[in-house]
Amino acid sequence: MNRFRALTLVVVFGFIPAIAHPGWSQTSRTEHAPADNSAGAHSYAKNCAICHGDQREGILPGFPPLLDVNRKFTHEQIESLIRTGKGRMPNFAKLPQEEVAELMRFLSTSDIAVGGANGAGNISDAGRPLFQRNCAFCHGRDAAGGETGPDLTRSKLLISDTNGSKFSEVVRNGRPEKKMPAFNFSNEEVHSLLLFVRNQGKSSRPGGRRGVDVSDLQTGNVEAGKRYFSGPGGCVKCHSATGDLAGVANRFQGLQLEQQMLYPNNAKSTVAVTLPDGRSLAGELAYRDEFTIGLRGADGVYHSWPVSRIRYTVDSPVDGHVELFGKYSDDDIHNLMAYMQTLH
Amino acid sequence: MKAWKYSLVFASIALLRASSDPAMAQNLEPAALAHPSSDSWPTYHGDYSGKRHSKLNQITPGNVGSLTLAWAFQTNQNAPIKSTPLLVDGILYFTVPDNIWAVDARSGHALWHYNKPTDEGLHIGHRGVAMYKGWLYYLTPDSHLISLNAKDGTIRWDVVVADVKKGYWTTMAPLVVRNHVIIGVSGDFDNLAGYLRSIDPETGGTQWQWDSTPPAGTPNSTTGGMTWMTGTYDPELNLLYWGTGNPTPVLNGKPRPGDNLYTCAIVALNPDTGKLTWAFSASPHDTHDWDAVETPILVDGDFHGKPHKMVMQASRNGYFFVLDRTNGKSLLTSTFGPVNWSLGVDKEGRPIPNPAKEPAPDGRLIAPDEGGMTNYRAPSFDPTTGLFIVDAHPSYSIYFAKAADGIYGWAGADYGLWGKGVIEAIDYQTGKLRWTHEVGDGGSGAGVLTTASGLTFTGDAHGSVLALATKDGRTLWHSGMGSPMVSSPIAYELDGRQFVMTSSGGVLFAWTLPQTERNAVAKH
Repeated sequence: MNRFRALTLVVVFGFIPAIAHPGWSQTSRTEHAPADNSAGAHSYAKNCAICHGDQREGILPGFPPLLDVNRKFTHEQIESLIRTGKGRMPNFAKLPQEEVAELMRFLSTSDIAVGGANGAGNISDAGRPLFQRNCAFCHGRDAAGGETGPDLTRSKLLISDTNGSKFSEVVRNGRPEKKMPAFNFSNEEVHSLLLFVRNQGKSSRPGGRRGVDVSDLQTGNVEAGKRYFSGPGGCVKCHSATGDLAGVANRFQGLQLEQQMLYPNNAKSTVAVTLPDGRSLAGELAYRDEFTIGLRGADGVYHSWPVSRIRYTVDSPVDGHVELFGKYSDDDIHNLMAYMQTLH
Repeated sequence: MKAWKYSLVFASIALLRASSDPAMAQNLEPAALAHPSSDSWPTYHGDYSGKRHSKLNQITPGNVGSLTLAWAFQTNQNAPIKSTPLLVDGILYFTVPDNIWAVDARSGHALWHYNKPTDEGLHIGHRGVAMYKGWLYYLTPDSHLISLNAKDGTIRWDVVVADVKKGYWTTMAPLVVRNHVIIGVSGDFDNLAGYLRSIDPETGGTQWQWDSTPPAGTPNSTTGGMTWMTGTYDPELNLLYWGTGNPTPVLNGKPRPGDNLYTCAIVALNPDTGKLTWAFSASPHDTHDWDAVETPILVDGDFHGKPHKMVMQASRNGYFFVLDRTNGKSLLTSTFGPVNWSLGVDKEGRPIPNPAKEPAPDGRLIAPDEGGMTNYRAPSFDPTTGLFIVDAHPSYSIYFAKAADGIYGWAGADYGLWGKGVIEAIDYQTGKLRWTHEVGDGGSGAGVLTTASGLTFTGDAHGSVLALATKDGRTLWHSGMGSPMVSSPIAYELDGRQFVMTSSGGVLFAWTLPQTERNAVAKH
């Protein structure tokens, strides 16, 4: 999007009769049709978009955004600006009065209000190509999940994230532990993505990737699950239904509970390190590769050593879950899931 | 005075001669692709065989410990480099979606940069360009094939090779065979037929098209079979070897009974006509998104005491295949990690899918996960040891599908549970693992390069590039690059120096021996 803006800017600044320049045909490939089909939107696309952007986002620093322009200027001021122009902005004195009225109506729409009311707005449409380019492969074109990435329309984080701050944080920082990259988007771009995702639940494509409902995960037998828990599964070696797992069905439901049951994704390992001088340290395993061990002590301080200079032992109770993968039948999993769902 | 004049004339002639000498131009005759010189890496896999084995031996197990950085090139892009650079006449050509760079391989400075944003098509990755004479061939995310002048990156022609509106996109590096530019397509989010197409390198016209599957809408038939990775070529048999992708709908196999030919298959095609010579189903009736597009490596050698022309693939579904590449008959089928979705192997060497392991409403535990036991990252074959070395991904996941998920596109859902990365050395005669080298939780996206001196270059899950001893997998050298490698290394020699090239994030790294170290080697 930024590159597109920059390209447009070069074309506009470099060649005033931009429309006549062949370079324009290149950018036109990335242009959008007006988001709504009103006469005002068409007038905007024809007269204003070249400087103020397809989505009224502006082309900074030369041309201001027109989103929320009705908060900055009165109706009369806007009309006067259109009719007489100002500074670099040409006048549109010859526009028919009806067209100016339609254009004014279009400029007074708030994108957020349009997105919320109709399920499809201009900013949300700006988010579409951004989402398709950067997010769709993993999260699906309709944000309902794709290759490896989860269904965003059912994301608990998104549902509870009323002002978009958590969404923004995830987009900007990524989730390296889950292989999600970080994206260097502007505030407007993040906002457009959020609106795009929020609008997807309302217009789902048939047959796309869908999530899993709690009702899908009720095929197991509680008693058999309980037997597996204390018998062949060996779960009681580490867990207790009345101890660490008491109330687990309140903390997690459905697919999330099943995923936590099969492989808890925030399980901690500990490491005990013996230094060359004989001193010992123990703490949470904070980093491990072939060459370096990192430890976080009870005081929160991080230490690391080249593995060649120390002796160390790692305790990873979660490895027990990995060992079970090769032993489970699908029935074992469904039964165990039925039992877990009783632990309120 | 006269002498000065003569010398000027002579110099002018010499200059004229130099500029018209084909050896001085950026030029790649297609015949050279069959026997690439050591100062080049002229195709995606380096040569037609797909072995990714370099004959260079300046960097050895004895001196690799002192390997150092010659230069790094920063693309300043968010998109990680997934492409394999081409090296022709001292210039590297590589890509990320919407971008191509030409970089001087001696100094690491950019000569030109093509940068044309596209809004449509998935921008998930880009594998690189192909070259024919002085022209480059680049596929855009929105499914155009563009021919560019290698001298300056200017566009010669631009043809549409697939319909992005229907759901196709393109990421692969084309393969040049004589006067054919072979291109493949991506697009398994929709029920679409995959195909391979041969394009005229001069005009952009279509020479032939081979369809993996019947047109969408054919009753009881599959769609899919995308051709999104670069294949290999045997000049003697005049056959292309190509892997095809998964069938669609992806997770719901009910509307597409049978083996779903030619999805998840290794196919052998005539490059002049596109006619199928044979096909081998790596995953008959796949319901787990396991494309069989991983490199079909061509090896000539002994198999159980007899000479054979073989093709080998470590496939995304967890199986390792050795086939006779003259006829597609199986020589060996084995697994290279946990696999729980099959009922064994049939007499043709094909895995038999277990119907009980198809995605179901209440979920099925499946090994490997959707990303697979391996993926687009390239493996390598080391002829000296007979080892097929692959970056493997032992993993488990749960797969769901129910009637409400429909019969279009993905048609289900799956969730990875756990996985790790392991560099594995497979003995192709037995399918057994001779050594393994763990590279971290989650897994590594790094491809593999072997060299004649007995080195294996790859990367770990944390961001280190590794040099391992090919014979036993021991680490001999490593260096942190800042983020994990998601491309496959290459090697080349320039001005008497061997380079190994890796990437990490948006940065390209050229590794070489220190000058003094090289001198020491030369004296021995």
